[in-house]
Amino acid sequence: MIRVFTYLAWRTAHNRVSRQLRRLKSPRYLAALVFGLAYIWIVAVEQRPQPASATVVGARWVELLGAFGVVGAVLWGWIFGVERRVLSFTPAEVTFLFAGPVPRRGLVQYKLLRNQLLILFNSLLWTLILARERFGASPWLRALSIWVLLTTISFHRLGASFVRTSLLEHGRIALRHRVVSLVVLGTVAIAITWSAQSAFPALAAGWQAGPTTFLDALAEAAAQPLPRMVLAPFRALIRPLAAHSFGEWLRAMGPAVLLLGLHYIWVIRADTAFEEAAAEASLLRARQASARGGSPSAPSLAHRRLPPLFRLAPLGWRGAALIWKNLLAVVRTRRARNMAAALVVGALAAAALSFQGDGTVAEIAGWLALTWAALSLVIGPQWIRNDLRSDLLKLDLLRSYPLPGRSVVAAETAASTLVLTCMQVGLLLVAYIAFLGVPEMDPPLDVRTSVFAAAVVCLPGINFLGMLIHNGTALLFPAWVHLGSNRPGGVEALGQNMLMIVAFAALLGMALAVPVAMAAGLGIVLEGSLGWWAVVPAALALEAGVVAESTLLVRQLGRVFERMEPIAGAMS
Amino acid sequence: MLVGRGLAVIEVEGLEKLYGDFLAVRGLSFQVQPGEVLGLVGPNGAGKTTTIRSIAGIIIPSRGEIRIGGHDLGREPVAAKSLLAFIPDEPHLFDYLTVEEHLRFMGRLYQVADVDTRIPGLLDEMELGSKRSALPGELSRGMKQKLAIACGLLHEPQALLLDEPLTGLDPVGIRRMKSTIVRRAEAGVAVILSSHLLHLVEEICTRVLIMQAGQSVAFGTIAEIVASRPALRGRRLEDVFLALITPDGPPST
Repeated sequence: MIRVFTYLAWRTAHNRVSRQLRRLKSPRYLAALVFGLAYIWIVAVEQRPQPASATVVGARWVELLGAFGVVGAVLWGWIFGVERRVLSFTPAEVTFLFAGPVPRRGLVQYKLLRNQLLILFNSLLWTLILARERFGASPWLRALSIWVLLTTISFHRLGASFVRTSLLEHGRIALRHRVVSLVVLGTVAIAITWSAQSAFPALAAGWQAGPTTFLDALAEAAAQPLPRMVLAPFRALIRPLAAHSFGEWLRAMGPAVLLLGLHYIWVIRADTAFEEAAAEASLLRARQASARGGSPSAPSLAHRRLPPLFRLAPLGWRGAALIWKNLLAVVRTRRARNMAAALVVGALAAAALSFQGDGTVAEIAGWLALTWAALSLVIGPQWIRNDLRSDLLKLDLLRSYPLPGRSVVAAETAASTLVLTCMQVGLLLVAYIAFLGVPEMDPPLDVRTSVFAAAVVCLPGINFLGMLIHNGTALLFPAWVHLGSNRPGGVEALGQNMLMIVAFAALLGMALAVPVAMAAGLGIVLEGSLGWWAVVPAALALEAGVVAESTLLVRQLGRVFERMEPIAGAMS
Repeated sequence: MLVGRGLAVIEVEGLEKLYGDFLAVRGLSFQVQPGEVLGLVGPNGAGKTTTIRSIAGIIIPSRGEIRIGGHDLGREPVAAKSLLAFIPDEPHLFDYLTVEEHLRFMGRLYQVADVDTRIPGLLDEMELGSKRSALPGELSRGMKQKLAIACGLLHEPQALLLDEPLTGLDPVGIRRMKSTIVRRAEAGVAVILSSHLLHLVEEICTRVLIMQAGQSVAFGTIAEIVASRPALRGRRLEDVFLALITPDGPPST
């Protein structure tokens, strides 16, 4: 059976690469690949390791921090669920493998094999990225170490997903089966917390003192008997990566490979109930994905009851129906809900931090939120795509609606704009609250308040213009834009994203030049009488300029939409 | 409000559609009166879907005019599209809207003031009452098709364009769909039905337009088409169709 699977995996990979090479004849893919390779070259190869004399202090923390990273990855798998990449079967796999004479264990083996292609690619990528770090042995040994690490994590998360699936599928019966392991897990967690409790004051003091002191305190906490024992397997997985010589690497690889083997046995020998549950879940997911036309993220079923805010009145501007539909799509997407939850938690944490201590942590939190808000101006429109970039796949449907083209463009763009603006205002609010706890913050509170108000005024317009640029690109050059909510991976996709970001930043800069000049002029005139509060009317002027530009652009793109025709193949 | 009988709801004049050098539809002209069910039949690639999608306003004709309820589709697209409903063979639904939300969405698009009172009746008619909170991913192929049909019927269109509407429906669904089409036609709706199921066309269509290579090869009631070809007297639509589109006539059975 394994030969059949190897053949299938090999031919699939071979044909995929062949197809990717063939499509390099298209300038879109060629340019994207060149950009992607250039980026990887600059990030991974150009920044070569410094001479040995410049050995970094951080190298000694690699094993400890790496072990914590692995703990995080493992916990993520246990808490947030399945290893979808491994468990997801394509409709063709469901048709031919599930219906064929293939044992469930064979299915799991096949998916492990398929997943290896991705792990090998990731190992290569990480080897290149880590090439500039000044630790570890040769690149080849590092690549092997990374492969062992990533494969073990993948196996562990797959095993965790089997346990989780079993618990969900079989409820209390499975719980009884797992009660011993769950009790052990809980006891260990409590014991670790208890034994590390003595280190908490040192950790808190280290946090205030600086990174090195904090890491020292962390190392001391990790050296307690129980944490050391628990961390041992995680450190064992990282140790080959940090080994400085071949001999040291060879000694470190033994335990790591042993762990890998144990995980393989765990996953493969998971009892039949687990395998059946996983297979059934995969079958269901594949059917749902197939029914949705391949859309990978399943809508949450827990959010059907909508607040009155999301009720749609039957009369009024027809375009509102599209905004409503697209906002529902966001509300029902797991990622958007997680983002909203993170913002709320961030705001609460910032509020808590700002009223205690000397404000150092609050300031860091504030700057982080501010940086994200600024970055989202450029990357946000690429990230939030619940607009024409998703709906052009249903162009037939859109074209049959009784809506003028400009209404379609305006409504589709407005939905993404609203989501992005809410996210940015949330981040700015987190920053604003956090900075309240920094006594000697510069600029002072009144300046921060006026700038915050100005940002709230002008962000919707700027975001709308940015979204229009992205939607306009999708309308004018549909073959250059990836349509749909799922994102492709690989070097080409990386290059294409970078090309889009660079082109978008340039276009947005050009579009904003005149409104910004108008706003700056008004701000300078009013500064004498209003002081820093002049930024608010200046923001209003900016918004007016942006609205005027957007109106013209919407009309133009509306005409493009009305002339656009669905052609088989061009939209996919 | 339906236009008065005798005044065509759908008027197609000299329709042509060119894809590059390929003429998909050439010089097609016909009218569909209120209450009439026009069957659009032809072999694969005959231009049926291009014709129906042109009438729906999805693709732009290279030449010719299309009027819906007297509104020119090119010049008054919103007014024209408000009067029609297009139901494709492959139901395109939104992943994140439930069954009921799809209908509310369509209600707003078509400005259906009494959407709350229409939804329960439509859901019952399409046997989707128990699925009103289901997302498309949870529906079978047939149920999705029923939902697409319900979306099309919500605003009580004057013109109904159906492209292979029975695809994916079970026998009960097919029976119900046929009665839905007939009922809507009896209420004065002009229907264009594109299908390869010739027995369906024969059963419910009042007139037939047979297409081949983008043009009309026969148009009229089945009796009129048969009457114009004495050799086909007494034959069924399937024989007439095969005689018209195959050079050697219908294959012997």
